[in-house]
Amino acid sequence: MGADTNGSLGPAFGGPAFGRPGNVGVGGAGISLLNPPPAGIAASTSQRMRGIRLVLVSIGLLLLAWGTFVMFDSVRLTRIPGVALWIAAAIALHDAILAPIVFAFGIALRRVGRRATGTVIAIIQSGIVVGSIVSLVAVPLIVAKNFAPANATVLPLNYGLNLGLFWVVLALVTVGLSVLAFVRWRQPVEAFPDDSGR
Amino acid sequence: MYEAQRALASPVRNPRMATVIGRLLGAAFLICFGTGLYSHFLQEPLGWMRFATRPEFLYQVTQGTHIVAGIACLPLLLAKLYIVFPELFAFPPVRGLVHFLERASIALFVGASLVQITIGLLNTYQWYPWPFPFRQVHFALGWVLIGLLVIHIGVKLPVITRYWSKSAPNIGNGSGSSGDGMGSGDADHLVAAVSGNRAFNAEAVRLWGSTRPSGVTGRVLDYIDATPRVANGVSRRGFLTTVGVATTAVVGLTAGQTFTPLNAVNLFGPRKKGVGQQGVPVNRTSEQAQVADAALAPAWALTLVVAGTERAFTRAELLALPQTSVRLPIACVEGWSQMASWRGVRLRDLADLMDADPETSFRLISLEERGSFSKTQMGREYVRDPLTLVALELNGETLDLEHGYPARMIAPGRPGVLQTKWLSRIEAI
Repeated sequence: MGADTNGSLGPAFGGPAFGRPGNVGVGGAGISLLNPPPAGIAASTSQRMRGIRLVLVSIGLLLLAWGTFVMFDSVRLTRIPGVALWIAAAIALHDAILAPIVFAFGIALRRVGRRATGTVIAIIQSGIVVGSIVSLVAVPLIVAKNFAPANATVLPLNYGLNLGLFWVVLALVTVGLSVLAFVRWRQPVEAFPDDSGR
Repeated sequence: MYEAQRALASPVRNPRMATVIGRLLGAAFLICFGTGLYSHFLQEPLGWMRFATRPEFLYQVTQGTHIVAGIACLPLLLAKLYIVFPELFAFPPVRGLVHFLERASIALFVGASLVQITIGLLNTYQWYPWPFPFRQVHFALGWVLIGLLVIHIGVKLPVITRYWSKSAPNIGNGSGSSGDGMGSGDADHLVAAVSGNRAFNAEAVRLWGSTRPSGVTGRVLDYIDATPRVANGVSRRGFLTTVGVATTAVVGLTAGQTFTPLNAVNLFGPRKKGVGQQGVPVNRTSEQAQVADAALAPAWALTLVVAGTERAFTRAELLALPQTSVRLPIACVEGWSQMASWRGVRLRDLADLMDADPETSFRLISLEERGSFSKTQMGREYVRDPLTLVALELNGETLDLEHGYPARMIAPGRPGVLQTKWLSRIEAI
């Protein structure tokens, strides 16, 4: 893969490297970027970009190979399928369960909140997402605490109560901000045009 | 596939947002990797390695940062995946070998990242519900992930450089038409189409046709399309605020287990400062280590071995030597830390008593017979440090059995697992 060039990778990797000269310099080019460069320089910069990408991908492949070697070197062969299974399950869990739930929730919220302003919807959405992510961290603590932690100083807090308190405070803040936003900015949600063929 | 992408399009799902969140996530990954390597080599040093012993809270900071950055990865990674989710439905799914390899590498990147963050988080409270060893897999996945990160940056470099600065063109608001977005080339049109922009709707209809599949799919898509949209600006600011608040929340409400100023809001830290025997949390108990009998036996003595000479010190003999008081944190690899007052004999004084060469490193041996840290090595920089003690007292009391009675090691800037409890022998190497 290392020998591939920008040309053949183009579409897969995001199309032509540079649309405009102003953005050329991030890779650390030594070329003046203040003025649009002549065509020859533009070509040499894209050559340079190709070089940098080639180096990055090569280094990445080496690190990946080293990591794979470390894995097979230090983990018993019979345990490797377990690692692979967990990685596959993580992808499935996110792509097939978590992401669709988030999507459906977004739709539902905007439906329910038709009459609210966009800002209010954004605030409520934000509150629920923040609460969910904190819960994602907190719920495993509650579960693990039921499995008799190694000693009394591991998981010493009442995480269920703390999570409840957190949600109460979050709800109060979210409602407070929503009311504030509703009063201050009464712009309606951008309605989707009705001529969409329905 | 186009319909799926269209349904999923959103003002926040654009390459600029992917770049903004991506670089934060990339930075967090690099911080985790760097601090993780440091912790790894402290525990398994290569022969030539020497480490800094000051500041004495160095490991508390590096490992605390490792855990904090790891927790911050959770909201950042979910945000990044949210932004690029429509890419999952890229059509055609595979456009050739290179494209296949790119997608495969991203799948592995996503899956391995999620696993790495999850097992790291659960390890902080010693919960291991997976069928593989934690330390080895976490270490190997660290290398794998950094490799995949560098590959990913290489692959996406044109997109990253193009959308690095705020003034980048075509930030998904339909103001341009040459969007080469996140690889599909359609991102701007998609966003424009769902943002209620009629001109671009017309454009979308012209390009892709307006006829929907009939039946359930068509109705579902219609339903989705008819859902009101939040204005682009509000949507983007809301998204960034949400990511910021969520990251602040998960970090702020857990980091109190190591960063004292946040102790009051430590709601979800697996440890709490001051909770434990003598005000210090415990990692490995005397019961787990099966050392209670040997540790409480009156015949206990600490044996020092230097150049073939052996000498045993009873606890009373150790207490009769000059005592030194130090304030040093216990900082655990699991990310918690606890400052404490220790009193005992300087290891340096013991080494001098045995006429040990100042260049000598030591091997520390615990009464514990099993366990991966029952025998560890201490480099000379720690041996000669005036803060390194064979500790006999903790916070003004005789060391508790759970903290390593009759004697334990305490040294500046080392992980808790190397602060050997229930000392039995100290040998010059």
